Amino acid sequence: MDVGLGVLLDAARLPGARLTDLAVRAEQRGLDLVVVGGVQGGLDPLTVAAWVAGATSRILVGVADAGVPPAPDTGDPEQPFPFVVDKSLDGLGLLSGDRLLRGPGAWSVAVDSTIDAVKAAAGAGVPVVVAVRTVHDVDRVVELRVVDHARRPASVRARRMPGIDYEGVPDVLAAGVVEPGDSAYRSVASTYMRGGAPGLVLRATTVEEVAAAITFARRHTDLPLGVRSGGHGFSGRSTNHGGLVVDVGGMDGVEVIDPDRRLVRVGPGASWKRVATALRPYGWAIGSGDAGGVGVGGLATAGGIGFLSRKQGLTIDRVRAVELVLADGSPIRASDDENPDLFWALRGAGANFGVATAFEIEAEPIGDVGWASLALVVDDVAEALEHYGRVASEAPRDTTLFMMIGPPRGGRSVMQLYGVVDNADPDTIISRLTPFARIGPIVQQSVTVSAYADVMDMTDTGPGGHQGVGEPVARSTLFREFTPEVARLAADAVASGGVGILSVRQMGGAIADVPEGATAFSHRDAGFAVAVLGSNARRVDAAWDPVRGLGIGSYLSFETDQSPERLGDAFPPPVLDRLRELKRRYDPGFLFRDNFPIDPRPADARLEETAR
Amino acid sequence: MTDYGHDLIFGTFVTPTARNASDVVDLAVLADRSGIDLVTFQDHPYQSSFLDTSTLLAFVAARTRNIRVAANVANLPLRPPAVLARASASLDVLSGGRFELGLGAGAFWNAIEAVGGRRLTPGQGVTALREAIEIIRAIWDTDARGDVRHDGEFYRTDGAKRGPRPAHPISIWVGAYKPKMLALTGTHGDGWMPAIPNLPNGAASYPDHNARIDEAAVAAGRSPSAIRRFGVLIGGGFGGTPRGLLDGPVEMWTEQLAGLALEHGVSGFVVATDDPSTTQRYGLEVVPAVRELVARERG
Ligand SMILES: Cc1cc2nc3c(=O)[nH]c(=O)nc-3n(C[C@H](O)[C@H](O)[C@H](O)COP(=O)(O)OP(=O)(O)OC[C@H]3O[C@@H](n4cnc5c(N)ncnc54)[C@H](O)[C@@H]3O)c2cc1C
Repeated sequence: MDVGLGVLLDAARLPGARLTDLAVRAEQRGLDLVVVGGVQGGLDPLTVAAWVAGATSRILVGVADAGVPPAPDTGDPEQPFPFVVDKSLDGLGLLSGDRLLRGPGAWSVAVDSTIDAVKAAAGAGVPVVVAVRTVHDVDRVVELRVVDHARRPASVRARRMPGIDYEGVPDVLAAGVVEPGDSAYRSVASTYMRGGAPGLVLRATTVEEVAAAITFARRHTDLPLGVRSGGHGFSGRSTNHGGLVVDVGGMDGVEVIDPDRRLVRVGPGASWKRVATALRPYGWAIGSGDAGGVGVGGLATAGGIGFLSRKQGLTIDRVRAVELVLADGSPIRASDDENPDLFWALRGAGANFGVATAFEIEAEPIGDVGWASLALVVDDVAEALEHYGRVASEAPRDTTLFMMIGPPRGGRSVMQLYGVVDNADPDTIISRLTPFARIGPIVQQSVTVSAYADVMDMTDTGPGGHQGVGEPVARSTLFREFTPEVARLAADAVASGGVGILSVRQMGGAIADVPEGATAFSHRDAGFAVAVLGSNARRVDAAWDPVRGLGIGSYLSFETDQSPERLGDAFPPPVLDRLRELKRRYDPGFLFRDNFPIDPRPADARLEETAR
Repeated sequence: MTDYGHDLIFGTFVTPTARNASDVVDLAVLADRSGIDLVTFQDHPYQSSFLDTSTLLAFVAARTRNIRVAANVANLPLRPPAVLARASASLDVLSGGRFELGLGAGAFWNAIEAVGGRRLTPGQGVTALREAIEIIRAIWDTDARGDVRHDGEFYRTDGAKRGPRPAHPISIWVGAYKPKMLALTGTHGDGWMPAIPNLPNGAASYPDHNARIDEAAVAAGRSPSAIRRFGVLIGGGFGGTPRGLLDGPVEMWTEQLAGLALEHGVSGFVVATDDPSTTQRYGLEVVPAVRELVARERG
């Protein structure tokens, strides 16, 4: 839609829960605006607008100014003070992150939901809203948008970037495309870790749309191409500057397809919190990482080291099938029986082979778990790291505590431990945690018996859209154990100030039950995944290079350095050779090359390129 | 030992600073996730550095799951009763019954006048509040017939529509300090919500003030246990050494709060803090411990 398209909710007629559903749906389907209207007798429009703003994170929220008389009769119990109404609208602007539109002049209302009515209303040059009463109505409004996509006004076209065929966006995608001049752009430009300014974001919600997006991308191979699911990639490659982004965040279904096998079909755009919440009523869980906000697509194609990995394996170890769209635009399914080579590659290096559109994953039964978070003060970081390493290596598989530590202040560092004891019995939980608690004096602790879904909820980043800025800098190294040498050099790196945070994820257990080579993900003998974050790449490398030398490899999900060396750290030569061969088969044109690209060309051609 | 037989409610009191709008919301979300029952915000519309409390309550309710929300307390002189009743009922519907109404007669009259409100004496404030409570309850009462009519000293209407109907019976908690206001709380309120530091003798004022509320309630034919007793306290922090009220180790907090419950019949605790870790420890550690201790002592 040229000027923006949205829905009008009548607060006087719709039940409360429906109002919320409709607003959330409008946001999910990529509409620009939800206007809360209503006359006396129903819910208070201003209250509904504030609620809707809270229940959403990106969509604009419109509310009509009541237009109260300037000098109210203070004895009239029904007459609000203009000052207070004004203040509440201002406050709502602040709370919503500037998503408030004050009407009624800021939008125009289409008389009905036909395309002609929408076009007529668009003449006013402000966003058009269509009254809706059901979720189905919202979907119909989304379809209206498709018809009129290409003719954006000059002000929007003026912000287009070079080299992109904006007018040639296929019709099936038109509903979801966002270009720099669109009102939704701000909410899709950046990711969690990285600021970005892509030239075009193609939001796809069906396999057909993903295929169309890939076909479109193939006409733009000179531009960066990002693939985005949950937008939590450490390397931030799911956004870029001036390129394309294929965003499958809207494919976020979670559906149990075979209760006997506990088989769950999950869309790439679902967050792990959403997965956990959906499985909670079944008493099942699928392990992921430590953060509920992370998306399925990025994690389930790379590994997935989480609170349940020591018992259940990596997330990819629970994946039974993946459906994706290949570089040539064709949909394909991969499992142990169908395209097993591809299935192997997708579990560790998935981003190089296509855009995943669905995962079938086997869940595990789970009861309540112990959720712990401890802060300890340590004087000697090296000793504490070694101590943590020892305790973690000896812990049973039901116990997984991740760790974070920063540079010392006043000679002491605070070590944060957080994680799960997969057992509901308080005494067991305490006995599992006790060895960790002995690492140093505790300054803060909380231990609760929680549903696994609550753990994912507590570690969610919350709504708000991704507003990352700048370039993230992270380095990732896997270690078998925290030997005294590893601990000492890692402590030095932290003390040097070059590394801002050192975070450690405990591995081992069931991760190592899967034979090396069974998936593209390598280094199953690792005991710990270490990620360091900093702000300056040169300083981080200077601090971290000595430590990296003691590692056995890398987990790319915590790495931002796109150089071929890092790819080699993640995949040992035979694995990388096999990946390259498969890349030649499935992506010979090197379309998917933005995030740790595996160059399909033979070594000499690559060398020539590097020399130039 | 005084005991009005209520379950315990644990709340927080967060400064609604406009500059840090997202921090304010985050504190409420954290309170919700930490098992706290209630989050409250002061309401001073003339205070330009604060967010508007009504919209903040609605926004916060949408971002949280279990926690109840309330103003502490709504500023009646700038919140006309029918407007307040409708906004309250609307939020109660949207949030599935998580709204309660903290209500006060107002203070800072210069500021109130400056933005269009009318100045009332303390005595007038009591009457206005009584009228307001009657109007609010009438707006909520959608089963009654006809429009709401009210011909009072401070509010007049000869036909306000009823509704919307709240999702649950919303409690009205009154911020009262002076004898007449305490009596009104006893006759019309569902709760008494004082800030302990503002009571003339701090927590030692409870016996006297409770008695006034009890007497007024009984005289009006109500049971004293119809009125929940609150205490708003400053959350100092969790230092290792006991330093004062809610400033020291978890065990000390636990004993102090349980003491208020067991000695004075306080069943609603509202801790003022803008510190995330204090909020979290209060919810995760103090709240369960107080519940347990009080349950044990109550037998
Ligand atoms: C706060 C935080 C905590 C984390 N904790 C953990 C942890 O405990 N354990 C762990 O293992 N990881 C963890 N991670 C890393 C995380 O798993 C990866 O960053 C993951 O790639 C994010 O997935 P996403 O879909 O949200 O990200 P996106 O940014 O959307 O995607 C990241 C990359 O994955 C690829 N990709 C995305 N979608 C698809 C798709 N549909 N098909 C094919 N390729 C795709 C692309 O290359 C893309 O650049 C954490 C990340 C963050 C930000």
